[in-house]
Amino acid sequence: MTQVSEITDQGHTSRELPKQLRLGMGLTFAKMMLKNPGALRRFMVMGPDEERYVRPPREYEIPPFRERMRCCTSNEPYLRPTRWCNPREPEVIAMANELGAYELSDYEFAEAAYWFVKTKLVLEMLPLDSVSATLERGTGTCYHLTSLWIALCRAAGIKARYKTLIVTLPNEILNFETDEREAMTIDMFSRGVPEGEGEVCIDGKWVVGHVAMRAEIYARAGLPITKFGEDSIGLTLELIPGTIKRFESLPWRLGITTKALMLLAPAAMERANVVFAAEIPRGRNAIEEAGGIEAYDQNIRRQRELFSEEEIERKIKEAERPQFVEFKE
Amino acid sequence: MEASAEIEKRLIQLNEKLGRFIPPRNRWTPVDEAVYEPTDLYRVPIDEALEMQLKAIKYAFTRQHTYNRFYRAYCETRGVSPDDLKTNDDLEKIPLIPDVTFKARPSGKDFAYWITGIFTGDLPKIVIEGANPTFDDVINAFNAAGLVVTYSSGTSGRHSVIPRDMKTWRTFMYAAQKLRSCLFDNLADHYLSLSPKPTKTNLYYGKVGIFEAQMHKDQHYAMDFEISADLAQRAMTGKDRDGTAPKSAVEQLRKVFEKGINWLERYEKTTDTIFLRAPPVPFLAFMDTLEREGIRFEFDGRATVSTGGGWKTRENERLSSEDFRKRVQEMLGIPETRCIDQYGMVEMNAGGVTCPEGHYYHLPYTFFKPLVLDKSLTPTGYDEWGRFAFLDAIAGSYPGFIISGDEVRMLEHCPICDLPGPVLDKVIQRASSEEVRGCAEEVRRILELDLKGVKK
Repeated sequence: MTQVSEITDQGHTSRELPKQLRLGMGLTFAKMMLKNPGALRRFMVMGPDEERYVRPPREYEIPPFRERMRCCTSNEPYLRPTRWCNPREPEVIAMANELGAYELSDYEFAEAAYWFVKTKLVLEMLPLDSVSATLERGTGTCYHLTSLWIALCRAAGIKARYKTLIVTLPNEILNFETDEREAMTIDMFSRGVPEGEGEVCIDGKWVVGHVAMRAEIYARAGLPITKFGEDSIGLTLELIPGTIKRFESLPWRLGITTKALMLLAPAAMERANVVFAAEIPRGRNAIEEAGGIEAYDQNIRRQRELFSEEEIERKIKEAERPQFVEFKE
Repeated sequence: MEASAEIEKRLIQLNEKLGRFIPPRNRWTPVDEAVYEPTDLYRVPIDEALEMQLKAIKYAFTRQHTYNRFYRAYCETRGVSPDDLKTNDDLEKIPLIPDVTFKARPSGKDFAYWITGIFTGDLPKIVIEGANPTFDDVINAFNAAGLVVTYSSGTSGRHSVIPRDMKTWRTFMYAAQKLRSCLFDNLADHYLSLSPKPTKTNLYYGKVGIFEAQMHKDQHYAMDFEISADLAQRAMTGKDRDGTAPKSAVEQLRKVFEKGINWLERYEKTTDTIFLRAPPVPFLAFMDTLEREGIRFEFDGRATVSTGGGWKTRENERLSSEDFRKRVQEMLGIPETRCIDQYGMVEMNAGGVTCPEGHYYHLPYTFFKPLVLDKSLTPTGYDEWGRFAFLDAIAGSYPGFIISGDEVRMLEHCPICDLPGPVLDKVIQRASSEEVRGCAEEVRRILELDLKGVKK
């Protein structure tokens, strides 16, 4: 059942995806199945020679929880526990305190928590579960990671909410060197993929954060690294217009979707996980070559100032001379 | 520095074959002067060359700025016009475009319109059959109208397409042959190519072999079948590309190599000179076949091996060019000094050629200005690693001021030979965020495809 916390600030529920998009995705999938029913097996079963996913070791320690640790207990919207995002779980409280809750300013804490999630946790396709489980594993989908950031902020008394959107991958990712498995993963996500961002309320203003993609993944594709306060839309991801929604709580439907995906296409999800894990060391090389995250990011942003593919495409389009081409039908 | 008598002799021989492509002197542009005037393009004194370079590149920039609406708008946004170019240093102000500019995104009619947007200068009327033309239909229609449109593909599946007018194409082809002649004896009697046949593909790596038809008597092409854009795309992005080649492809490759062996056997018994052109990896496979079959040749100084297209193997490792030359010496008896490699790309007209002594890539510098860019895409000095970019004056039909996806190190002079111009270090690699591209890889992957049904 839809709860009040699931109602978006545009006044509709998460189930109201643009019809055209839903149909488009469904049709694509149906066509693929009709054309090649064998593909279904590939979605479900890993080949005998395929590399299996091994979860990378967690990159941080979870500090021990102590009763005297401070935590927000307000039941106000955006501060209270919501589905798959309980800021009162001991591990979350302990981590929030470790990161400087109630010591740093709201902005400083939200930023510290942002970089913690963004640089220490790894993307992994999984069914939705609790933030403490995400913290224990050190991995999760964009929704897991966004939930963790939101939970840490709520634990520190900072209002936080979800922003969901449907995006396509940027040209930088669509173009990059791929092996077969990477190409399948990119193809799977290139048709439009649900993505999550978080927003935290600082001094009455909502500040956005996209924690779900590690710096190494950006670097692998030659993309800038989003900072706290910076939207991924237009910078690292391409928005499908009309798909942004904001919620206090993740809708139950997302839980069913992620469970269904794991059930129907476990092999495709595992392949995606292998790809995500493999991209990290490759991206790390690009960052190291540039002289660190900051230097890498500066360079890429300067390159974007010099030129953008969108600008070039637009200018070529404006220069077209169709009068020289005749089509004989 | 004067050209040696030997190079003068080679140039006379070259002009006997290709001289008709040189425009009459009274119609020479500054670009033509920089290509046709010097006898030895690699021994032009630096001061003299820089003067030619400034005139040629300024002429090319003015042309692009005047006749290419897309590029003019690009320059206007960056506030650069031809009046800003007064010295050689000013050439670095020329706005560079990334190589991704030439990645054709649209298909069908949109693709045809896209070519008109990227092309500089007047266009003939292009007539395309059918309401939904394929990629090849569009390219063939432009080529039928007198252009030379070629493409190269990468693992992203998007082709890089370059439309050349006939003047750009002929200048490019002549300059490429002349550059080779300035470094080694380029004019062999016969020609064996493990590359696509130029008349059966619009793939850049195949098409650039077209002038060889004017240069040699007996030409044999191992890849004598139609290579469509779809086939090239399948090779570069298809699911079979990382596995082992299918049985049919193995059999086909065996036949290709068998014909190559027969061809070599025919000329081993003569005193004729031969020229072998191939990407390194397939050529290495060819030599492995020779070894398996216990065949060795002794061509000595009357054969030349010309490679190009990159040195990456299927396993993404880098072949050693030194080991490759040793292998050529061992299996074909061709001395290492007669193994040359060329560096180029579909967007570039006449690239680097290795010198016989040091095997560094010598770049032309009268009509071409090579640049190495640092991480923030600012030109950096010699001896630094960075992104390769260039100002190519020969490109008259598209803006040839391009940032490539390759990482290189440029040296002011070759450390081994005495030529005065700049060289690229022996190792050239793709930047970490760039897709795999390279003609050698393209050819290898096509050879490993199941080609059943492909038009012979």
